[in-house]
Amino acid sequence: MTDSIHITRRGGQKSRLTLKAREMMEAWLFVSPTVIGFIIFFLGPLLAVAYYSLTEWNLLTQQATFVGLANFENALLENPDFWHVVRNSVIFALGLVPLNMALALTLALALSRPFRGVVFFRTVFFAPVVTSAIAWAIVWKFMLQGEGGFINQVLALVGISGPNWLREPNWAMAAVIITRVIKMVGLNMILYIAALQAIPRDYEEAARLEGASRRQIFSMITWPLLAPATLVIMVITTIGSFKVFDHIYQMTGGGPENGTLVLAFYIYQQGFKFFNVGYASTLAMIMFAIVMVLTLVQVALRRKGME
Amino acid sequence: MTSVLLKGIEKRFGSVEVIRGVDLSIDEGEFVVFVGPSGCGKSTLLRLISGLEHISDGELKIGDRVVNEVQPSQRGVAMVFQSYALYPHLTVKENMGFGLKVRKVPAQERQRRVNEAAATLKLEPLLDRYPRELSGGQRQRVAIGRAIVGNPDVFLFDEPLSNLDAELRVHMRSEIAALHKRLSTTMIYVTHDQIEAMTLADKIVVLRDGRIEQVGSPRELYERPSNVFVAQFIGSPKMNILPAADAPLLCAGLAAPQSAETLGIRPEHLTVVEPRDGVLRGTVSLCEYTGAVTLLHVLLPDNRICLVLHDEGEVPAVGGEIGLSAEASNIHFFDGQAQAIRALPH
Repeated sequence: MTDSIHITRRGGQKSRLTLKAREMMEAWLFVSPTVIGFIIFFLGPLLAVAYYSLTEWNLLTQQATFVGLANFENALLENPDFWHVVRNSVIFALGLVPLNMALALTLALALSRPFRGVVFFRTVFFAPVVTSAIAWAIVWKFMLQGEGGFINQVLALVGISGPNWLREPNWAMAAVIITRVIKMVGLNMILYIAALQAIPRDYEEAARLEGASRRQIFSMITWPLLAPATLVIMVITTIGSFKVFDHIYQMTGGGPENGTLVLAFYIYQQGFKFFNVGYASTLAMIMFAIVMVLTLVQVALRRKGME
Repeated sequence: MTSVLLKGIEKRFGSVEVIRGVDLSIDEGEFVVFVGPSGCGKSTLLRLISGLEHISDGELKIGDRVVNEVQPSQRGVAMVFQSYALYPHLTVKENMGFGLKVRKVPAQERQRRVNEAAATLKLEPLLDRYPRELSGGQRQRVAIGRAIVGNPDVFLFDEPLSNLDAELRVHMRSEIAALHKRLSTTMIYVTHDQIEAMTLADKIVVLRDGRIEQVGSPRELYERPSNVFVAQFIGSPKMNILPAADAPLLCAGLAAPQSAETLGIRPEHLTVVEPRDGVLRGTVSLCEYTGAVTLLHVLLPDNRICLVLHDEGEVPAVGGEIGLSAEASNIHFFDGQAQAIRALPH
């Protein structure tokens, strides 16, 4: 017996392909738009960047010279700016991620149960997520102006003289972190609300019957059950924080004194202001590696959590 | 052992009235089953007793205390949930000891009580497993074990067997009955399965639309239903309801009481006889063979279907005419309000 099945078509002729082969062909046909798009718009550019990272290519000269790992050496071992930028990115991530997650969880706990007006509040906190990043940054830039800015006017009412937020090195990073948190917290809030709503109510009720306080229910039941969601949220927020560009571009331009110059913005500067496409590609590959490591950590932790 | 007393209990969710004035007395050590169709309020009533829902009106006493305003954990009740509600990130041992831990019971004492409950329910080999590593029946036993550890005055069961397959359900039913016998604790059990209700209960409470239709022992409910609803809800297949005028046809010489509008006769109380004049006659429209008995669907002249459990003799052929008769003592009469007429004329 062979496992090939001859299918008689409407016209009476037999197909020479097995049923499995025909199904495979159909499947590929259906996924081909996505696969082709993936190759052209993702895999292709990624390979191109990988290649350019090994070249010295000034955009104005239109000539790419193969230099091996020289750009990597330059970035990792010789250029002090690179480590300053990495440090800024890490500070940005360390400031943004815990603040964003804590705020998102607090909002989610308050807004996960139905009450009158809950949809309104969820919408209010989610709206900045779908607002244009540039528009958001412009508005905050005005609000954070040293003189006449809305924030300082409010502070003045209670007798505090606010700094020039985006022009002072000590305050600029804090200002961009907080405004970015306010913009993106709604997304994590929604993820946490979904995770909270997926926890069966019975657990809480059983714990209440057994005498657990609200605090105990949260620490002993809710928080451990949110662990998978927390992991995902933590990693995507960290990755997002490493990729931040538009916000920095519009609010500080990396300043003052390179105090908010983060990796993604530094890549942009190298590639499109100084036209060092080869070096910018190297930096992009390093950033890709960082993001990849973070993603692998997420996958590993999730697997461990599921065991 | 503790009694439970419900006086005029009402529950409203907004403008929707779910429990409409329930009065009920549950004696110490009694096994009471709330039964009724979906949406009748049986689970809500259980949740009101547990304290997971607030009582809108009325008074609830557990033991000598009015507990309307008492926290669920202070009422001395433990509940076994339909979903078991075992914490998935804790082992069986941790699940069972959870209540003791949050109440700051010392670890040694906690261990002793968990081990004791585990021994009662034969859970010792499972103590270090997670809920996901247990079968449905084992999870059920852990849920019961968790309830036992707290040493409650009253056990509350919310449809605890509904997620199990038929065979396991029968097994767990007997385990719960044995547990009640051993602990002699007051137990309140919610189910929509009347077999569970009949086999477990000392007392059955039949609910409909947030009201109690009848309270009584399983035998009382079966033999002396107080209205058509209870008569048809208890017993399977359900009781046939026929015009009261059919009484003399079913049982020669039997006259329906004057106020009777309908009569009820259970399928197992009908006997197939020759279709002669003076008996209730009908045509067999369907025979359902179930092994021990055959369920006959008999089409009566007024186009009603009458169910008959036929367990001896030759099974009548489909399409054939048969006669039906019954003993007077098995015939129930109901008035125009579908209430039972108690003074039976036999």
